[in-house]
Amino acid sequence: MTAYIIRRLLFLVFVLFGVSILIFGLLSTFSPERRAAAYVTTPKQAENIPLIIQKYGLDKPFYVQYGKWVEQVADGNLGWSLVAARPVAQAFWNYFPTTLELNLFASPLVIIVGIWLGTMSGVHRDSFFDHSTRIAAIVGWSLPTFLFALILLMVFYGYLDMFSPGILSSDLSLWVANNPDKFVRYTGMYSIDGLLNGRLDITLNALSHLVLPVVTQVIVVVALLMRVMRSGMIEEMNKDYVITAKAKGADFKTIYKKHAKKNALIPVITVAGQLVALSMEGSIAVEVVFNRQGMGWWLAESATQLDMPVLMSVCMFVGLVFVTSNLIIDIMYAYVDPRIRLH
Amino acid sequence: MKRIILAFACVLLMASAAVAASPKDTFVFESYGTVRTLDPACAYDVVSHQRIMNIYESLIFFDGSATDKFAPVLATEVPSVENGGIRDEGKTYEFKIRKGVKFHNGNDLTAEDVAYSLKRHMVVDQEGGPMWMMLEAVAGVSSTRKDGKIIDGIFETIDKSIDVKGDSVIIHLPKPFPPLLAVLAYSYGGVILDKEWTMANGGWDGTVKNAAKYNGPAFGAEPLQKIANGTGPYKMVKWAPSNEFIFQRSDNYWGEKPQLNTAIIRYNKEWSSRKLALQNGDADRVTVDAQYLTEVQDMDNIKLFSVPQLSVTGAMFCQKINPEANPNIGSGKLDGEGIPSDFFADINVRKAFLHAFDRQMYIEDVWNNNVTIPTTPNAKGLPYSKEEPVYEYDLEKAAECMKKAWGGKVWEKGFKMVITHNTGNAQREAAALMIAENIMSLNPKFQIEVRNVDWKDYNVAYRKFQYPLFIIGWGADYPDPDNFLTTFMASTGVYGKYMGYKNEEVDKLARYARFEIDPEKRRDAYYRMQDLWYEDAPGVILYQKVDHFAYRSNIDGFIPHPMLDHEWENLKLLKKN
Repeated sequence: MTAYIIRRLLFLVFVLFGVSILIFGLLSTFSPERRAAAYVTTPKQAENIPLIIQKYGLDKPFYVQYGKWVEQVADGNLGWSLVAARPVAQAFWNYFPTTLELNLFASPLVIIVGIWLGTMSGVHRDSFFDHSTRIAAIVGWSLPTFLFALILLMVFYGYLDMFSPGILSSDLSLWVANNPDKFVRYTGMYSIDGLLNGRLDITLNALSHLVLPVVTQVIVVVALLMRVMRSGMIEEMNKDYVITAKAKGADFKTIYKKHAKKNALIPVITVAGQLVALSMEGSIAVEVVFNRQGMGWWLAESATQLDMPVLMSVCMFVGLVFVTSNLIIDIMYAYVDPRIRLH
Repeated sequence: MKRIILAFACVLLMASAAVAASPKDTFVFESYGTVRTLDPACAYDVVSHQRIMNIYESLIFFDGSATDKFAPVLATEVPSVENGGIRDEGKTYEFKIRKGVKFHNGNDLTAEDVAYSLKRHMVVDQEGGPMWMMLEAVAGVSSTRKDGKIIDGIFETIDKSIDVKGDSVIIHLPKPFPPLLAVLAYSYGGVILDKEWTMANGGWDGTVKNAAKYNGPAFGAEPLQKIANGTGPYKMVKWAPSNEFIFQRSDNYWGEKPQLNTAIIRYNKEWSSRKLALQNGDADRVTVDAQYLTEVQDMDNIKLFSVPQLSVTGAMFCQKINPEANPNIGSGKLDGEGIPSDFFADINVRKAFLHAFDRQMYIEDVWNNNVTIPTTPNAKGLPYSKEEPVYEYDLEKAAECMKKAWGGKVWEKGFKMVITHNTGNAQREAAALMIAENIMSLNPKFQIEVRNVDWKDYNVAYRKFQYPLFIIGWGADYPDPDNFLTTFMASTGVYGKYMGYKNEEVDKLARYARFEIDPEKRRDAYYRMQDLWYEDAPGVILYQKVDHFAYRSNIDGFIPHPMLDHEWENLKLLKKN
């Protein structure tokens, strides 16, 4: 097992190298003028585009520019993010905790609710419950996230004046800003930092700001997981070992909970792992509507403005997340299904 | 378990309910602008300007809503010919520096700080930064570098141009530069720093010998990028990029104590969310784009100000289109399948396009009557703005002009071309479509396609002369006709050169008026340039931008100013009831 993990982690280096070449190559297809325009905010500044090209070497051959970038990264310098007005590494720690905080609450809910609903639907196939959850799943999956988020915002914040957007209320945000010695940002996530600093009010306030984004994320994402779990359950429930168990008079709950469900989890683990990995990129719709600028917002803005250092670093990060999540998924396979051995 | 979940939900609801409405001594403004830098030498965008100008101060600032009158800030009076502050035929400016002013860190303001700051901004001169204005005034060049190399003796020139004499700072100019006060009133050159603090934080060491080391820093490498220490009414507490910027009232401010203790400027890109924040009182002001204006007009307890800005957008004819592999001009010949590269060099073509623009319909249908259309690039609100006649919307006249164009060949053969506008700008798209459809209605052989192009690509392409007609706007760097008429009309102007428009008289007038200190002679020169805009018809002025400021009704103190756009907020003037 250890040798397998080490081998997979070594493989990561090649993946990251491949990703960096690919992204750098793609971005290099934009003309030097187009890339220099990212530094320009006014037509007057546009006059300096040739000088900007010269200063940043944007007209140099691909390998020279890539070499320079690798050299910088090796020195621990990921570059400057124009969008974030901060060095990329620093900006990452500004945005990532916001995304992580949302997923910390949304992902377990997605997995628990998805597996439970899928199991129930599969076990009680063609019942009213099954039909209702299937319809809800289709609606949830088809509904544009942006629209659903807006509906929640209008209803709860607009009409009921509850669950305001943002990360923290103005008064608490001010208190935190004015008391850096009394409130340490250990994780960058207010809900966790509130607990670590003994400020339950900050934790609760941060959680109240998380309710609508988490609900949106769960409802939109849970549908896929539920469908996969349901299909798995239906398939398992029709297999010979279940029929035999039933014939032997085994308890129905024991059959589907102890035997069928565990076997149906294999594809669910794959999908859940991918969903969690994907959610680390952030969701632009959730982040924009609920005013929580995280990885999704940062990546989208950087792509629009061609903020190259950010695009390079974030794509590498996504590559890292996916390789790691695949590794975790493989390890979980072995745990769930003893027939699978990792070599 | 159910009880625990229920109890937790109730606590969350209570926590959520306790959030409502911004605190009483705090002003909350939600907008979507992002700050690039807090270094006054490098900031060249309106969002950074707003943050800087509430923390730092300049020697003078605009007086109320005026663009040509100033009020003293860190200077005790505004220099003028009458008070002796402007002398030597406009080549010397003397600013007497206010005493008893402290920076946020407790250091006293001195004349030495002022001289250092003005010099330091020019020494830094970041690529694409705003220092071209001060450099043009002080050194007669628009950059400290030429072809990527520092100009010999430029730092000596900067150093010699600014003197300290007692409590005064004296600026020496090689030529009179009437817009100087307007430049100094904004953050693009006139912001005053604490010399000691700046040097301690890695800023220019004050010597000419070492100036090159501090020149042209890369983006983000400027030492004052994320720190600030000014003399202004507010100090920075927190800047979390694209999240929030928090100001707190400075206790040692020299002027009248502002009413508001704190201000939070929060990034919020989504209009629905901003609107609800304003409606619920969680925000005291939000940014309103033109398309959402009616939604705010229908809201209760809101004060709405619509302020015409010194920002003009026009459709510019290019008279020297780049013919190389240019898909926007078809065959590149006047054969019915394209246009030649000098298609718009014929004034009849230009006039036909002007007659095809229905101003009235554009104002009513596209802008809901919430816009003004100036007759020349010298926007309303600028000095020497003159109402010129316009080429009225008349398709018969447009057809007549087209029949005359190119000796009748345009009418006979027809043409094909592309009009572009930048993606996402509905008003520019509407103008492009209107012109295209009206021109095409003149003759079935006239074919115009309207395409949208991403803004960054657009910015590159028009500068390569690729667009026969480009639609573009210009916002004031300083409120002076020089910044508009020269830009749009001079053959060296930022747009003039990409229009391929050249009129010797215009160029002569632009050069002359820029340095002329006699207001009447200046006025005459700019009036003549505006006459020539009508006579030569080099472009169609589409609109003057109007920005909307939506406040909760308990907020007072806003003073509209055409230079200060919707990202602006002068916090010290605001009062919350």
